[in-house]
Amino acid sequence: MSATTLTPVFIPEGRDLSFGGVLRSEWIKLRTVRSTWWCFAILIALTIALGIQMSSALTFYGVEGVIPQVAVQAMAVYGITVSTDFGALIVSTLGVLIIAGEYGTGMIRSTLTAVPKRLPALLAKGLVFGSATFVVSVLAFGLTVPLSVAFFAGNGIEVDLGDTRYWLSLLGGVGYLVFVGLIAFGLGAIIRNTAGGIAVALGLNLAAPLVLGAVSGITQAPWLQNVQYFLPSNAGRVLFGYPANFADPFAPYPPATDGIWVMDAWQGGLVLVAWVVVLFSVAAVLLKRRDA
Amino acid sequence: MIEAHSLTKRYGAKTAVDNIDFTVRPGLVTGFLGPNGAGKSTTMRMIIGLDRPSGGTVTVNGKPYAHHRDPLHQVGSLLDAKAVHSGRSARNHLLAIGATHRIGVRRVDEVIGLTGLESVARKRVHGYSLGMGQRLGLAAALLGDPATLILDEPVNGLDPEGVAWVRQLARQLAAEGRTVLLSSHLMSEMAQTADHLIILGRGRIVADASVSEIISVSGDSVTVRTSEPDRLAGLLRADGASVSSTGPDLLSISDLPAPRIAEVAAGAGVVIYELTPIRGSLEDAYLALTRDEVEYRTSRTVTEARR
Repeated sequence: MSATTLTPVFIPEGRDLSFGGVLRSEWIKLRTVRSTWWCFAILIALTIALGIQMSSALTFYGVEGVIPQVAVQAMAVYGITVSTDFGALIVSTLGVLIIAGEYGTGMIRSTLTAVPKRLPALLAKGLVFGSATFVVSVLAFGLTVPLSVAFFAGNGIEVDLGDTRYWLSLLGGVGYLVFVGLIAFGLGAIIRNTAGGIAVALGLNLAAPLVLGAVSGITQAPWLQNVQYFLPSNAGRVLFGYPANFADPFAPYPPATDGIWVMDAWQGGLVLVAWVVVLFSVAAVLLKRRDA
Repeated sequence: MIEAHSLTKRYGAKTAVDNIDFTVRPGLVTGFLGPNGAGKSTTMRMIIGLDRPSGGTVTVNGKPYAHHRDPLHQVGSLLDAKAVHSGRSARNHLLAIGATHRIGVRRVDEVIGLTGLESVARKRVHGYSLGMGQRLGLAAALLGDPATLILDEPVNGLDPEGVAWVRQLARQLAAEGRTVLLSSHLMSEMAQTADHLIILGRGRIVADASVSEIISVSGDSVTVRTSEPDRLAGLLRADGASVSSTGPDLLSISDLPAPRIAEVAAGAGVVIYELTPIRGSLEDAYLALTRDEVEYRTSRTVTEARR
């Protein structure tokens, strides 16, 4: 044992842990599992397919007179963004999978051993997932636009591509997919269980608006209808909605309402951002506190 | 160097680790022993910050693990070979972990070669055998070429060649001046690999001493086969030995060295067919020390426990 005092202490060499490195690590993780590719491929295929289907089916058939261009633009936006109802379910599933899946497989212990301060790992994962969802959604919408415009033109509906508002609404649709994905990611980080996380995320996106919608439909209470705006799906519809009514092109817009709010796109976006911020904050506190 | 002070972990009413102090020194292989549920894994998890201590502190190379700027170069750990996403290949898993510290392809391929994973490194971890998974866990632990290694049951599921490799690796890493802490339930393996042992029982330290000191707890004995066991037993007892009969012509003698036994027998003209000194084993010592852990206190030394 006397030899131990003679042994030189090993001095490690190498680069420090850095946030750039953690981002790179999360990017490698995201692209090296199949579920990512499956979900994004389905998102693109579904956006294109539904876009084509809606763009060829929507018409102003039966409406008399010259259709205002804003109504045309609103219909064109709807034809593309209607797919986000389903797209949201796909990105929600992926959002839960990429974080809760780490808990399910035990990978989280490798992650938190490499990044023991923990929060950079959560932040990097969210950033990488959000960015990837943004790029894929832009790609999906970008591929759909020319097809959509062509199919609308086939029905004699000429979409004005010089309309900034049209593109902003589509960007809102992209933003909705990103935010709804991040909301699911936050839920997955809190619940730490894939099945449970997906159930809650889909419940929030599918069941909650149905239940609230039914209840407010029966009671006709304006405040209950306003509460709906705070659900991610309804806030999303506000975010990417084009400010015109194509179902009734000659009705005044915004419609007269009795105590029901009319929200601007940015307000819908704000609601979604608030969801993301609150869920990330809760997830961050829990991640710091809980044993991995 | 790992230093724990008053380290405690409670899960609800259950105390998994109870106010322990220990130091794991560089240049040595330190074995971490204890029955299931003694708190070994919990202690290891607290060292790298996966579990938060309920009380006390533990530092690695002078700081809490999370406070290091380069955690993976400070500590390499294998706590759970299953800490892998099974849908990812071994190589991508290692690339992802390494990326956090800008550890590149070259080092990843190096540890893949070192752990003998070349043929399966690009396959999904899903289909790996227990031993392959263990090798991947070891590759991840070695990735940062760390100053300290913490290995929980590293030979679990490995073939004999792999077991020998881990033994040599642990010895070599310690000889390079690194700190090596490893746990195992294989006592013979531990006796060959470790220099120093920390034995836990019910969350407390039962013994903290060198391997040779701990083995001496069980004591040496001598087995003698003779035609006149009763007469020889009487003579030896008169000489101060404690003697027990372990067969019709077989005696087990302790507290008297083998040459003295031979002298006594020769002096009395007793014929001896066989005389075998038996070295105490780590397993016997371990079982003696952990038989009733609550009797032992953290402050108790090996010499006290021997009485």
